[in-house]
Amino acid sequence: MTEVRINQLHKDDLPWIIEYDESKCIQCGKCTATCSFGAIKPAIEQRKKSCSIAEKNKLEKVIVIKQELGFDNHCRGCGMCERVCPNGAIKAVRNTDDRYSIRYRAQTGQSVKKGGRSNLNTEGRTLDKIKIGRISQMTDPSLDAVRHTFEIKTPFGRVLSADKLNFSVNGDKLECSSPLPPNRFIYPIIMGDMSIGAVSWRMWEAMAIATAYLNEVYGIPIRMCTGEGGIPVRLLKSKYVKYMILQIASGHFGWNRIIDAMPDMVEDPAGILIKIGQGAKPGDGGMLMANKVAKYVQEIRGVPKADLLSPPTHQGLYSIEESVQKMFLSMNAAFNFKVPVAIKVAASVTSVSVYNNLLRDPYNIVGGFFLDGLAAGTGAAHEISLNHTGHTITSKLRDCYKAAIKQGRQGEIPIFAGGGLGQTGSFAADAFKLICLGANGVFSGRLLLQIAGCVGNDTERCNACNTGLCPAGIASQDVCLTKRLDIDKVAENLVNYFIATDLELRKLMAPTGCSSLPIGRSDTLITVDKNVADRLDIQYVC
Amino acid sequence: MEKVVINGIENNDRMSTQALLQLIEEKLEEGYTDFEINACGQHDIGGSAWSRTEGKELNFYITNPGQRVGAMARKGTNIFVNGSTPADVGWLNSGANIVVKGDCGDTAGHCAASGKIYVSGRVGTRSGALMKHDPKFETPQFWILKNTGSFSFEFMGGGIAVVCGYDCAGLKSVLGKRSCVGMVGGIIYVRGNVADIAKTVSLKELDDEDKKFLKSGMKDFLTAIDKKGLADTLLDFSEWHKIEPLPTEEKVKKVSVREFRKTQWIEGGIFGDFIEDDMSIYPLAATGKGRLRQPVWNKELCVDCELCMKNCPNSAITKDDNKIYSSCDDKCIGCSICETVCPKAAWTMKNNQKEVD
Ligand code: SF4
Ligand code: SF4
Ligand code: SF4
Ligand code: SF4
Repeated sequence: MTEVRINQLHKDDLPWIIEYDESKCIQCGKCTATCSFGAIKPAIEQRKKSCSIAEKNKLEKVIVIKQELGFDNHCRGCGMCERVCPNGAIKAVRNTDDRYSIRYRAQTGQSVKKGGRSNLNTEGRTLDKIKIGRISQMTDPSLDAVRHTFEIKTPFGRVLSADKLNFSVNGDKLECSSPLPPNRFIYPIIMGDMSIGAVSWRMWEAMAIATAYLNEVYGIPIRMCTGEGGIPVRLLKSKYVKYMILQIASGHFGWNRIIDAMPDMVEDPAGILIKIGQGAKPGDGGMLMANKVAKYVQEIRGVPKADLLSPPTHQGLYSIEESVQKMFLSMNAAFNFKVPVAIKVAASVTSVSVYNNLLRDPYNIVGGFFLDGLAAGTGAAHEISLNHTGHTITSKLRDCYKAAIKQGRQGEIPIFAGGGLGQTGSFAADAFKLICLGANGVFSGRLLLQIAGCVGNDTERCNACNTGLCPAGIASQDVCLTKRLDIDKVAENLVNYFIATDLELRKLMAPTGCSSLPIGRSDTLITVDKNVADRLDIQYVC
Repeated sequence: MEKVVINGIENNDRMSTQALLQLIEEKLEEGYTDFEINACGQHDIGGSAWSRTEGKELNFYITNPGQRVGAMARKGTNIFVNGSTPADVGWLNSGANIVVKGDCGDTAGHCAASGKIYVSGRVGTRSGALMKHDPKFETPQFWILKNTGSFSFEFMGGGIAVVCGYDCAGLKSVLGKRSCVGMVGGIIYVRGNVADIAKTVSLKELDDEDKKFLKSGMKDFLTAIDKKGLADTLLDFSEWHKIEPLPTEEKVKKVSVREFRKTQWIEGGIFGDFIEDDMSIYPLAATGKGRLRQPVWNKELCVDCELCMKNCPNSAITKDDNKIYSSCDDKCIGCSICETVCPKAAWTMKNNQKEVD
């Protein structure tokens, strides 16, 4: 008999407990074959055969399925074993008495790491406390969401106020003699912002295909952001690069390849996004664990196989002025001032100062302000950052928008808001509310994974994206796992989701009487929460 | 019986719409059928009226009316408006013949379900919206000599509209902007430029039936509006088209995502220069290359007890005459049962997971 000691890890320490019904099990082995974490294994147990005197010491051996007890291979509750079991004999059940986060720290001396979103949802979602309450019935012309035409586009790029434009009349033409910064009218949703490496090559390509398809086949001018891990040269040199926003973060990964490919590019990219910070783990740089740094990731990024921890800030940027001067100017110059350049920061108490500073932008080169809230997702983070740092998106977006209004400069630097959007399943509702609060557009990442088949959620299910063992083949570079993912199905699901979202956006625009985006139309919003009403300056109702 | 003459204003004293309509109703009750109404903007004239005199139709000769002339008018009613009219002429027309010698305001012919509306000028926005055809009644017709405003024929479900595009030189579209949105039925004949109509309708050439209809209909129309002289110009069919809704299947026919990837996407995929992806999709609990782990047998340790063979759920393990055991890749799913049951640890599982290279 093996001894049991109190300090050993036991299954009641773990977040998920395997519930197994031996009477239903036929030992088909599918569950153990499927579990990418190796969290269950076949085992041999003994059963007493009979209580008769003659056979009282006779034991029978049986094969059972048993849960593994370990920090590396504990069950994540992904549910794949339950999916494959032909008899419903096995499933992972949430352990409400879990002591994992204490035991892990106590035993390893490490901080807990994981993927997904914050799992400490103490604040509730402000967006869910807001409803669209201004319905035009006899006040404005009614619109039909399905059949009327809506102008669902938003500027991406620096917008100059009228007094900065020198108009003159030349014959029967109105001409503008001041140079205009690049500006593109795009769909108000930007997808992606997940790097090559963080997600599998099939997932990344499926997002790119979905983006191209939505543009080319449905005429929905949606854009995708590459994330900080570079971009495949084949895509860079194709016409589809015009739908891609190239990201540059502190690691500058893949940019040498972009620079190298410039003479061969047939189209300009949709934009450049300078990533300073991200909402899921503000103050922390990107983090890609070595087990996901596959060979192609190493090549595109120009790094060896190692844990890739991007520095939290861009080395060599010490102030907002300097970042405008160095990053914005250089990125604008890189594409000859023809491509809008925006910046992404984690929402923070200080966001308004940053935005105000950018608004001064004397060179007209700041083309967008991406504000990422604390409910944003990530492929890998320290749990402490994920759960305890950051700033909610709603009020900070509102603060920035109102700061611009105060100066009469709203819309000059378009604001894009993100972080946990679509958490309740409907992206359109979140998007619409944020747009009414002042966002020009919104962006989303984590939701795309869930559309693709990720089983993770915000109550500690799976979220093992950092391990490289993603059971859905999404956050992995492993061949066996990635090939579980059907690239066409994923792209199709993404396309369908955004077509549904487009319809749902119109379903909100129509009753509010808006045939174009209601940016800053906070009069359409109401809330039953007095604090929310006061803070966001929207109508309180009861 | 002589004609009833009603003046909408007399000695600076304007009759209310209600008073005027009730006066008409009184006269109808008395059996009058002909009315000359010199209106002063009173609304709803000519609507929902019927003749109390057997065999005689109602005739309204109207000047200077308000909105909704002939709205909800019935079969057996003839309305002549000398001059232009404001909005909603022939709204929900249920069988009347309405002639407007002038322009009409917005939403003319809105929801018209039967009868004929002839306009010798232009009509405003959203005209012809929601026209419909109930097969138990005559097909509604809506003839316009010149052009329509934007958003016209929205949600049209049936009936025939004819936009003759006369006096429209220089217009980008004789249907304004964004017309025909949500049109699901009916036909619009149109002469001249057409632009910016809904994507769910199609602009087609006329066939012989269409020409026949236009030829006979045009004669009645031009006679009614006193413009017979325009017949030659307007019957030059080279300038005509017809608009019909696309059949439902055509509306949804789009290339599939898979087809798009295969035919329009970057050949070989964007990672094709790094990764050889055969595009196969592994199920959960896959065999062969899709296995996460695979068993390896060690001859030295095996005592030939056959426990693995007997317990392998997929009968993947066999042994040859020399007692060499092997596991068949195409059957084995890598479940580790052989490893577990082997008393001598002759089977061990090798991790098959490997990152892409
Ligand atoms: S729920 Fe997932 S992690 Fe847990 S045992 Fe089943 S397959 Fe493995
Ligand atoms: S999949 Fe179900 S039946 Fe098969 S071994 Fe696992 S628990 Fe038993
Ligand atoms: S299914 Fe994959 S992507 Fe989703 S939470 Fe799990 S590891 Fe992350
Ligand atoms: S791993 Fe499972 S399926 Fe494969 S040979 Fe062993 S027992 Fe059979």
